Amino acid sequence: MFEKLKEIILKYVEVKEEAVTPEARFMEDLGFTSFDFMSMLGEIEDEFDVEIDEQEAANIRTVGEAVEYLEKLANG
Amino acid sequence: MLCTTIREIVTGAAERFGDGDAIRWKIGKDEIETRSYRQLREDSERFSAALDALGELGSHVALTGPTSYRWIVTYLGTVGCGSVAVPLDVSLPAQEMCELLDRADATVFVYDEQRADVAAMARERCPKLRYLISMQKEEPEDGAEAFDRLLDAQKPGFERVVDPDALCTIMFTSGTTGKSKGVMLTQRNLAENATCLDMRIPERTVLLSVLPIHHAYCLSMDILKGISLGSIICINDSLLRVAKNIKLFKPNVILMVPLMIETLAKKLEEAAMLPAAIVKAKVFGGQFHTIFSGGAYLNPAYIDLFEKYGITILQGYGMTECSPVISTNLSWCVRKESVGKLMPNCEAKTVDGELWVRGSSVMMGYYHMPEETEETLRDGWLATGDLGYVDEEGYVFLTGRKKNLIITKNGENVSPEELENKLGEQRLIREVLVRENEGVIEAEIFPDADYVKKKRITDVQAALQKIIDEYNQGAPAYKKIYRLKVRETEFEKTPSKKIKRY
Repeated sequence: MFEKLKEIILKYVEVKEEAVTPEARFMEDLGFTSFDFMSMLGEIEDEFDVEIDEQEAANIRTVGEAVEYLEKLANG
Repeated sequence: MLCTTIREIVTGAAERFGDGDAIRWKIGKDEIETRSYRQLREDSERFSAALDALGELGSHVALTGPTSYRWIVTYLGTVGCGSVAVPLDVSLPAQEMCELLDRADATVFVYDEQRADVAAMARERCPKLRYLISMQKEEPEDGAEAFDRLLDAQKPGFERVVDPDALCTIMFTSGTTGKSKGVMLTQRNLAENATCLDMRIPERTVLLSVLPIHHAYCLSMDILKGISLGSIICINDSLLRVAKNIKLFKPNVILMVPLMIETLAKKLEEAAMLPAAIVKAKVFGGQFHTIFSGGAYLNPAYIDLFEKYGITILQGYGMTECSPVISTNLSWCVRKESVGKLMPNCEAKTVDGELWVRGSSVMMGYYHMPEETEETLRDGWLATGDLGYVDEEGYVFLTGRKKNLIITKNGENVSPEELENKLGEQRLIREVLVRENEGVIEAEIFPDADYVKKKRITDVQAALQKIIDEYNQGAPAYKKIYRLKVRETEFEKTPSKKIKRY
């Protein structure tokens, strides 16, 4: 899950692979804008075949939290 | 065709476009549901009849929810029978929404089940409310009526003469400062704003509506103007899915705010090595041609970038108090540095540097706020609070907000936006706020982490200071920035995504 997510993140922001750690924050560390972040979640929906709730997604701050959220979704 | 009431817009479109699609939206994954112009008119009339049956003709009807067919029918049905619609921001906290329901004297509240929490709280706290109507409930329940049930019980064809100069909509402005104000707009205010200018947009243009519908910009341009042109209005269900919905609905036109344009610009730049036509087809589809931009300042560099891909960005300017469009660029006469030509129903003058406008789209005033109204409306002129001027050809130029104006100790006036826009052109600067602090001009900057990594900048503070120093070299003494603050987080924003100043 983490590796796949990392791949998608790297399409949205130009950071080194090492920068994408579970602790990295999307906005502050990786340089996402709020609309970038929304667009990426849209792509993740397709990639992982899940449905993301906009309100719940708004609470995600770090890469680790996103992985946790997606794993929860994938396991139903 | 100039219309003076909103009902005229809807009936006119139903006569011209009848069974043609008016609204499209997604149900389930790739399935689209539609309603025609005839159905839109009939359902709106049914809603008017339902208000009549409830004894609520002429009442204030508040509504909240994401953009939906039922939302649009509620709005058109309310204003179509001379009642007053009060669109509320679906993302507001429940308590704030209840306060606005009360302040707007709403007696009917139509809500999306997404905000069932507000309905529950309103039952306790809003004694003026007589009816709650759920957009999704199939049967009346918990003291709430069911939207579809109410409409099914009525026949279309409800008619009532509507006064063009009567109040029809109260819109609350979020504002960057102070208590939100209820802007009172008449039928004529909104209808003429949507129909007085021929923008040469072909009939049956497909547009994707992505902005929040309680905003005047979206309501007037996407919905009312869209209907007047017989457009096919497609509803974007979530900001998560803009890219996907572009592929699904294949729009020609989208109304956006600058933040969205910036993200899309990154997508285009990422693929800059590929031929422009291929990139455009991939991101927007070959049929896409125009972005309308409003709501905040747009860096003109984006207009050039998108032009390379055959996409025209038309920047406009307005405010809720003017229903909302004051000026707009047109596809056949774009001036990048200007926010466009004055609307034909609008005249302007400059008073002490501030832009004042007058015309048929200027509001009646703020609801129950006589003092604020008096400050803003002067002898029929609307003081916009924006600093700017209109040139001889009718193009509007803006230089900043009056209330943000910094007055230095030696009496010079500095518009912080002018400095912010200049600094904002630097890639290292993601967001910047310029203000006065202890007698000197200070810039607070949120650097672009992406850029820092790309350029391997180790000392961000020093790099930013260098930008400031370079800026200062070319600036007159009173516009020099004497202090730099670096932020680690994004600035707090208003609901319309503008940086909160105080």
